[in-house]
Amino acid sequence: MNSTLYNYYVIDKAHHAFREPCKIDLSTEFSSKGLSPEERVCQRLERLLALEVPHIHPDEKIVLMRTVATIPDCFTSDEWAQIKSKHYIHENGYVSNLCPDYEKTIKLGLLARLDECNDYQKRAINAIISLCDRYKDEAVKLGRTDVAATLERVPRYGARNLVEALQFFRILHYTLWIEGEYHNTVGRFDQFMYPYFKQDIDNGTHTLDSALELIEDFFLSFNKDSDLYMGVQQGDNGQSLVLGGTDIDGNDCFNELSDICLTASKNLKLIDPKINLRVSSKTPIEIYERATGLTKVGLGFPQYENDDVVIPALEKLGYAKEDAVNYVVAACWEFIIPGVGNDIANIGALNLPLSVDRAVRRYLPNGESFDGLMNAVDDQIKRDCEKIMNEKENIWIAPSHFMDILRDDKKYNNYGIHGCGIACAADSLAAIKKYVYDEKSVSPEKLITALDTDFANDPELMHKLRFEAPKMGTNDDAADSIACKIMDSFADALEGRKNEFGGVWRAGTGTAMFYLWFADVIGATADGRRKGEPLGTNYSPNLFTKIDGPISVIQSFTKPNVSRTINGGPLTLEFASGIFNSDENTKKVASLIRFFVLNGGHQLQLNAVNLEKMKDAQLHPELYKQLVVRIWGWSAYFVELDKPYQDHVMARQEYSV
Amino acid sequence: MKGIVFDIKEFALNDGNGIRTTIFMKGCPLRCIWCHNPEGLSPQKQLFVKKKGCLNCGLCKKPCEHEDCKAFGRCLHVCPCNLISIAGVEWESDALAAKLLKQKDVFNALNGGVTISGGEPLMQWEFTAEILKALKGNIHTTIETCGFASTKAFETVINLCDFVFMDIKLFDRELHKKYTGVENDIILKNARILMESGIPHTFRIPLIPGITDTAENLGAISEFVGEEKVELLPYNNLAGAKYESVGLQFTDKIELQDKNNAVLQHFKNATLRK
Repeated sequence: MNSTLYNYYVIDKAHHAFREPCKIDLSTEFSSKGLSPEERVCQRLERLLALEVPHIHPDEKIVLMRTVATIPDCFTSDEWAQIKSKHYIHENGYVSNLCPDYEKTIKLGLLARLDECNDYQKRAINAIISLCDRYKDEAVKLGRTDVAATLERVPRYGARNLVEALQFFRILHYTLWIEGEYHNTVGRFDQFMYPYFKQDIDNGTHTLDSALELIEDFFLSFNKDSDLYMGVQQGDNGQSLVLGGTDIDGNDCFNELSDICLTASKNLKLIDPKINLRVSSKTPIEIYERATGLTKVGLGFPQYENDDVVIPALEKLGYAKEDAVNYVVAACWEFIIPGVGNDIANIGALNLPLSVDRAVRRYLPNGESFDGLMNAVDDQIKRDCEKIMNEKENIWIAPSHFMDILRDDKKYNNYGIHGCGIACAADSLAAIKKYVYDEKSVSPEKLITALDTDFANDPELMHKLRFEAPKMGTNDDAADSIACKIMDSFADALEGRKNEFGGVWRAGTGTAMFYLWFADVIGATADGRRKGEPLGTNYSPNLFTKIDGPISVIQSFTKPNVSRTINGGPLTLEFASGIFNSDENTKKVASLIRFFVLNGGHQLQLNAVNLEKMKDAQLHPELYKQLVVRIWGWSAYFVELDKPYQDHVMARQEYSV
Repeated sequence: MKGIVFDIKEFALNDGNGIRTTIFMKGCPLRCIWCHNPEGLSPQKQLFVKKKGCLNCGLCKKPCEHEDCKAFGRCLHVCPCNLISIAGVEWESDALAAKLLKQKDVFNALNGGVTISGGEPLMQWEFTAEILKALKGNIHTTIETCGFASTKAFETVINLCDFVFMDIKLFDRELHKKYTGVENDIILKNARILMESGIPHTFRIPLIPGITDTAENLGAISEFVGEEKVELLPYNNLAGAKYESVGLQFTDKIELQDKNNAVLQHFKNATLRK
């Protein structure tokens, strides 16, 4: 690792000194000129790129960093209000959470793409070429003939070697962010970069060591401007990179470059890019062991995706086989297709505990059987999904000229809905089944009163529901079988439904930030959870469930038919960092991951956590600037998080030995 | 038959091959001053109160009607933080064996198995033997024993195991008595039986600073075990953590020292756990 470069960009953040906010009020200007949205997006990109001042660090081989720190909006707040009065707007209205096709353009060069481009796209291409020319001039001035030579070639023409290909990627990715797209993911990096890597190794341009150094330099580039990217919290920026996976014939594609990426991430210990590893029953145990070596570092990387489950499930949703096998993850864990996907995988979120609570309040006072209650839950989930789907009509999204160059076809226009709080929902119903219907030890009135009063007058009932009832995550069918039914209801509610583009609706197992946001919407729940207490992150047990260990958790969470809820959202397992103290234990953890995959799990997030460090970091943040933790689908510097997010990470189930 | 278990721990990585589930049997004939499982000492069920996180709400001290609370003078079913429990659950050997057998495929997939530990599993040796009999040939089994048991109990149980971990803590008879409460004649006799049994095994020595990690002790044990496999276990600096919870006091504060590989020099065939 080049420590000069690392210190400059990561520790000292010395490059921030070259930044200035954009002082132009573009939206007012655009508005007064009455420009079209297409013209605005194009002009903004041109003008921001023109304002950029080239800056090259003497040690870096991959250049381009932001000096214009802010991106003014294209539309005034009045204009947004007007748009919103007529349309549904997803998040901030710009294209996000997609994986472009970098491969084709890196191979052909931007000039070769001009013929297929409209005028806006041509202007975008010219604007970025012009900035790259200024970078080239700066490189010449600094005597950096290597950088100048690279920029002589790319982005005008196709890359001929690894350094050109990486620099080209950086240029494309950089341009997307300035155009206004966000959560721009990286895709199957080890696959589309492999030919350049292989050729350079074969012809002696690179050794494995020099290639590693170059990849590290490149990985650093994801961290140069990332604090300027939008997200719910710092770190939530969607720079997901996917390694490994099977090809259309079912062969495992993990290669030497995949391995170098694992090593680079392990050496740099940076939160970007976010490493994912696609695995399957064919993945040899050695690859899990290599990857567990990265987990040990504590970044929360890699996140695992199981091809055996994901690919057939995507095909069932209507994705063509050649696209399904090429899947990647969006910003966090949503499964999307590079180049041809136009899905909005995070358009909505279903609050499962709220659906359960509504059904309970409606049914319980006069309801005679638990089966009847489950029917009421099924009905409520359908109603709540219906409402979410109906809200997402008549969507409007800002134009995205440059992004559109990087995707030939908007072949898939599906929408995804997160299913949040499955454990809370299942545990609540399992407790009601046991105490209200089977044992009849708790009357419906008593339960509803306790929920309404947040258990203030009934600590014994809270204890019973919270600590003595069956729980998802303990391999107890009493809770798990209910979770299976809830997930089926969720999948049934969306099955066969079409959005306004003819796309399908995908049910998922992620929560994103809703594990906190939804917790405030619902009151106390019948699993003994008090009002305001957060839900589990993504597909996880409740925070207060007494867990026997990760094996029971895996067994519980692989019972539901996740292939029907395949929008994405991992089971999360937290391990005390101390267990990775020997190679033997690291290998044992690797075998546990393989067990998850062979057992039919769809996605797994594995974290090495150090509770003591986190506690100390809350007291002395200045000492822990580089302490990384995993949040819900991305990793962050602990001290940069708001306290509720810090507290949630600290409260999660942790497995030690 | 019935036995009392104080914990069942999944994902045990340090108790033998692969990923294992460890059964902690309640009751131990030794009283090692460094013991880190004080709830495993008494063979009886015990009140276990965690102090950390206690809101001092007093709910557990209010009289209650629950049958199972009567013996303990506290309500076990009301703590909002779940800090009050009973160390010791009564199991039927058939039921426990059945629960473990259900996980057979899991253990095999993880190259692991079941480890019976404690406390001292030989203190309830007939129950332990019942479990081992039921698992034999289905799930890989290991036992962790201090070796303080009758020859009959020792031989019966080790012959049902796939692997045995046996502690030799102190070689000197008097020191053994001083620090563990019992003399070591029976232990050394059983150790010889184990050495001659042909059953795969490893001897373990807990490295207690100034007590067991002395050159004299390690040298003497080394001479006794010869080329036998030995594992050295560094002292657990959290040893005193649970004493207060079962109403005991952790009397001897032991200073933790950095363990380096120097302790290995005494042995012909030893490893040091990190």
